[in-house]
Amino acid sequence: MREGDMQGYVEPSAIRMKVSKSFDDDSSLSKNNSNVTSGDFDSGVGMNTRKNQVASQNITMNNPIYSMKAKFGIRSPSVPNFQDSLYSGNNNSTPILNNSRRFDPGINKNESNNMDTRKYWKENADVDSAKETPIDNNKTHDDPAMSVIDLYNDDDGYSRNNRSSMGHQLEDYHLESDDEEDEDSENNHESSEMLAAVSNAEFLPKSITLNRKELNTEHCDRYGFKKKNNYVSEETYNAWWEDYSGYCIRRKHKWLLLLQKSGLPVHNDIPVRFPPHSEKLKRYVRKGIPAEWRGNAWWYFARGQEKLNKNKDVYSNLLLKMGNLEDETQKGKIQDLDVIERDLNRTFPDNIHFQKEAFSTKEPVMIKSLRRVLVAFSLYNTKIGYCQSMNFLAGLLLLFMDEEKTFWMLVIITSRYLPGVHNVNLEGVNIDQGVLLLCIREYLPELWTEIESSYNGYTKNTPNNSANSKNLFLLKLPPITLCTASWFMSCFIGVLPIETTLRIWDCMFYEDSHFLFKASLAIFKICEPDLLKGKPSHRSFSQYSLTNTKQHRSNACQDDYDMQMFQVIQTFPKTIIDPNDIFEKVIFKRRLQLNRLDQNEIDKCRKYVAVQRQKHKNYDDIIGKLGNTSPFDEKSDEQNLHGGKFIDNSINILGKDLKMTSEMVNEALSSEVYDFKRGFSGVNWNNSIKERVKHMRKKK
Amino acid sequence: MLQFKLVLLGDSSVGKSSIVYRFVKDSFDEFRESTIGAAFLSQTITLEENNQVIKFEIWDTAGQERYKSLAPMYYRNANAALVVYDVTAPDSLMKAKSWIEELKKKVGNEELVICLVGNKVDICEEDDTKRKIEFEEAKDWANDENLLFYEVSAKTGYNVKEVFQKIGEQLYEYKKAEQANKGTQDNSNITSNIRLQEPQASNPTSCC
Ligand SMILES: Nc1nc2c(ncn2[C@@H]2O[C@H](COP(=O)(O)OP(=O)(O)O)[C@@H](O)[C@H]2O)c(=O)[nH]1
Ligand SMILES: [Mg+2]
Repeated sequence: MREGDMQGYVEPSAIRMKVSKSFDDDSSLSKNNSNVTSGDFDSGVGMNTRKNQVASQNITMNNPIYSMKAKFGIRSPSVPNFQDSLYSGNNNSTPILNNSRRFDPGINKNESNNMDTRKYWKENADVDSAKETPIDNNKTHDDPAMSVIDLYNDDDGYSRNNRSSMGHQLEDYHLESDDEEDEDSENNHESSEMLAAVSNAEFLPKSITLNRKELNTEHCDRYGFKKKNNYVSEETYNAWWEDYSGYCIRRKHKWLLLLQKSGLPVHNDIPVRFPPHSEKLKRYVRKGIPAEWRGNAWWYFARGQEKLNKNKDVYSNLLLKMGNLEDETQKGKIQDLDVIERDLNRTFPDNIHFQKEAFSTKEPVMIKSLRRVLVAFSLYNTKIGYCQSMNFLAGLLLLFMDEEKTFWMLVIITSRYLPGVHNVNLEGVNIDQGVLLLCIREYLPELWTEIESSYNGYTKNTPNNSANSKNLFLLKLPPITLCTASWFMSCFIGVLPIETTLRIWDCMFYEDSHFLFKASLAIFKICEPDLLKGKPSHRSFSQYSLTNTKQHRSNACQDDYDMQMFQVIQTFPKTIIDPNDIFEKVIFKRRLQLNRLDQNEIDKCRKYVAVQRQKHKNYDDIIGKLGNTSPFDEKSDEQNLHGGKFIDNSINILGKDLKMTSEMVNEALSSEVYDFKRGFSGVNWNNSIKERVKHMRKKK
Repeated sequence: MLQFKLVLLGDSSVGKSSIVYRFVKDSFDEFRESTIGAAFLSQTITLEENNQVIKFEIWDTAGQERYKSLAPMYYRNANAALVVYDVTAPDSLMKAKSWIEELKKKVGNEELVICLVGNKVDICEEDDTKRKIEFEEAKDWANDENLLFYEVSAKTGYNVKEVFQKIGEQLYEYKKAEQANKGTQDNSNITSNIRLQEPQASNPTSCC
C-alpha cells in the first residue's frame, strides 16, 4: 500500500456522490460559471489527467476528503469524471473545484465566444498530444482492487487493504468458471460471501460511514438518472443494485486481470487500449464493460479514433460554421434547428446532468453540449440532418465521453450500426423492422403465429393474395412494429432500464449491429409467456362486435389480444432492470437457436428485405398504373368500403409492357423466400475449441 | 363495450403526449421525454347519455416531419384522429392542417372522426399576448372542414375529458347508424367484398 493512501481511505466516487448530493440539494449553489465545460470539451484522456495533476497540486491537504479527491478524482472521461466537471462549476465552496477551474483558460474562451473555437481546438490538440503523460507517482492507480463503481453503493464498506488481497483471490476463483463459456460465474455464492465478509463498515473511519448513509439516500443512479420510474420503485432498484454492484466489482477485477495478461496495464484506471477480439473478450464484453471504462471501450471497439484521425478538424470547423449561422441569422433556413431546440429539454429530463438547477435559468452544460453535437451533426450529414431519437443517442454518449468523441460516435452509430434508420425517409427503420420480423418467424415461431394471425386481420381482404402474401408484411409492416421501431431508433434507450441498455451498447460496439436483433429477440423470448398468455383460444370469426364492416376488425377477441400484446411489448422491457435477465436467460444459452444469428446473417437479411421492399413498391407502382386495386395502398380497405372514388378508366391506356413487367416482378416476389442459415457456424465453433485447448495447455 | 382506435398527430412538442397523459393518468409532467416512434395506451370512458362504455386504443406518435413516412402504420384502421396544435406556436396550426389533409387523402374513411385540438391555452390565460392562433380562426377552419374542434390545456386539464367524450359520442353515432344499416342490408359482407375487387383511384407509392 502506498503512502498517503492511509489517511481515511475513501474511494473517489463516494466523494463525488457527496458533492453531487450537495449540488442536488442545495439550491443556493448556482451554476453560474462558464468553466463548467471543462469536462465536456475535453477531447482526450490526456487532458483530463493533466488537469487533475495540476489541480491536485493546489489543494489544501488538511481535509482528507479533498486530498483523496485530488488523488482519485478525475481519472476517467466517463460519468464520474463528468460529475466532477459539473461540480467544478457548481460548488464554489469546494477548494479543489475552484482550483481546477483556474486551469482551464481555453475552455473559458470557448464558452464566451464562439468564434474562438479554432483557437480552443488548437490548444486542446496540444494537450491531447501529450496524452500518455505519466502522472506523478503519488496518484498512480494500478491497484486492481480500485473501482469507481465500488463506492456508488453498499460495497464501499471494505477496506482497501483487505480488498487487494481479496480481489486476487476472487480473480483466481473466477478464472476457471469464466473460461467455461456456459457456466455462470456470477451466481457464485462463495464469492459473494467472501465479498460480504470483507464488506464491514467498522473498518472505516466515522466520517466515511456517514458518507455511506448519504449515498444510500441518493435518488439517482450512478449516471445521474432517477432510480424510480413508473415501472420500478426505488426500493426495487436498491435491492437489485445491492447485488448488481457486487457483480460489477467482480467483473472489473476480471477485466483488470485480463488486461494485465494481455500486456495492457491500466494506468490511472483508464485503459485506452483493449485486447484484440477473441471469444474470451466477447464473453467479457457480454458480461459488461466496467462503467467508468465504457467511454474508452466503446470508442476503441467502434474504431472511433480511426474516424477522428481521418477527420481531424471537422468537428471544430462545424462548430465554427454553427457560430456563423447564428450571426447570419440563417438559422431559420434549417428546419432541424427548431426541432433540435424543442428536444433539448426533453432529453433525459430525469437525469440530474440534464436538469436546470432550481432557481437558475442557466442552461445546463450538458444541454449546451447536446445542442452543439446535434447541430454539428445536422450540418455534417444533410441526408440525416436531425432525427428525433438522436437526442437520446447523443445524450447517452455525452455521459461517457467528450463532445467531439460523441459527435463521431453518433456518426458511426447512424452509419455503421443503424444504416438508414435516421434518414429523412426512415427507410432503414422499415428495413430493420422487416429483418426483425423475419428473425421472429425463424426463431420464435410461436410468437410469429400470433403476429401473423393478427396481421392477416389487417390484410385479409386484399386481392392477389396468392402472389404477395409471402412477403407482404415486409412492405406493409404489421402494427407490432410500431412498438419495436423505437428499439432501433434509440438503441433501446428509454425502452430498457439504463444498466440493461448499456450492456447492449457494450455488445453492439464489440459485436456489431446483429446484436441489436439478438437483444430484441431475447426481449421477446423472455416476455413470450406474457405475450402468449392471452391469445384467443380459437380464432373463429363468429364473434362479431358492432364493428362489422370488415370481418377482421369485427373479431373482438383478436382486437383485445392485439391491444394486450402492444401493452406487454411496451411495458415489459421497462421492467427488465437486471441486465442478466437478458444475458443469462437468453444470450448465454448456447442451445437457443437465436444465438446462431450473426452479423453475416443480418447483413444478408437487410439486403434481402431492402430488395423485397423495392420490388413490392415497383410492383405496386405498376399495378397502380394498370388500374388494379393495389394491395398495398392504404386506401384500399377503407375507400372501397366507404364508396371512395373509383379508378379512371383512362389509365388502362398503359400498354402491355407494363403488364409484363408486373408479371415478372410478381414472379420474382413469390419465388424468393429468405432462408436462414441453419446449424452451427463453423468459425465460432472452432474458435471456442481453440480457446479451450489453449486454456488446457496453460493449466498444465 | 365498444373499442376504437385513436391516433394523435401534430407537430413536435405541441403537447400530444401530455394530452394523452392527462386523459389516461390525469397527470401532467412539465418535463417529459420526447416520444420516439409511437407509444401505445388505452383508456375507457362511459358516455354520459346512455352509459355506453367505450375503450380507446390510443397511439401517440412522434411529431417530426420525417415520421410522416411511418404514419400510414399509425393510422391504418384508425377510427378517430386527434390532430393537435399549440395555440402559442403559429406554425403548428399549419402543420395540423397538413396532417388533416394527409388523413383525408390517405385514410379515405368518411367515418373517421377527426378532432382539431388547440393545446396550451393555460399560457394565454396568464398572458394573452402569448396567443398566436385565435380561437375563431381555428374554429372557423375546423367548421369548414367538418371537424370537431376544442381548445384545451393538458397542464390544467381544461377540456381534455370533453374531447374524448365528444369523440366517443360521435363514434357511437356512426356505429349505431351502421348497425341500423346492417339490419336492412343483410348481405353487406358480400357487397363489401365485391367492392373491394373494384378498381379505384389510388396513390400506390404512398404507403410507408
Ligand atoms: N403550459 C403548457 N405546457 C404544455 C401543455 N401541454 C404540453 N406542454 C409542454 O409542452 C412540451 C411538449 O409536450 P409533449 O407532450 O412532449 O409534446 P408532443 O411532442 O406533442 O408529445 C412539454 O414541455 C410540456 O410540458 C399545456 O397544456 N400547457
Ligand atoms: Mg410526444
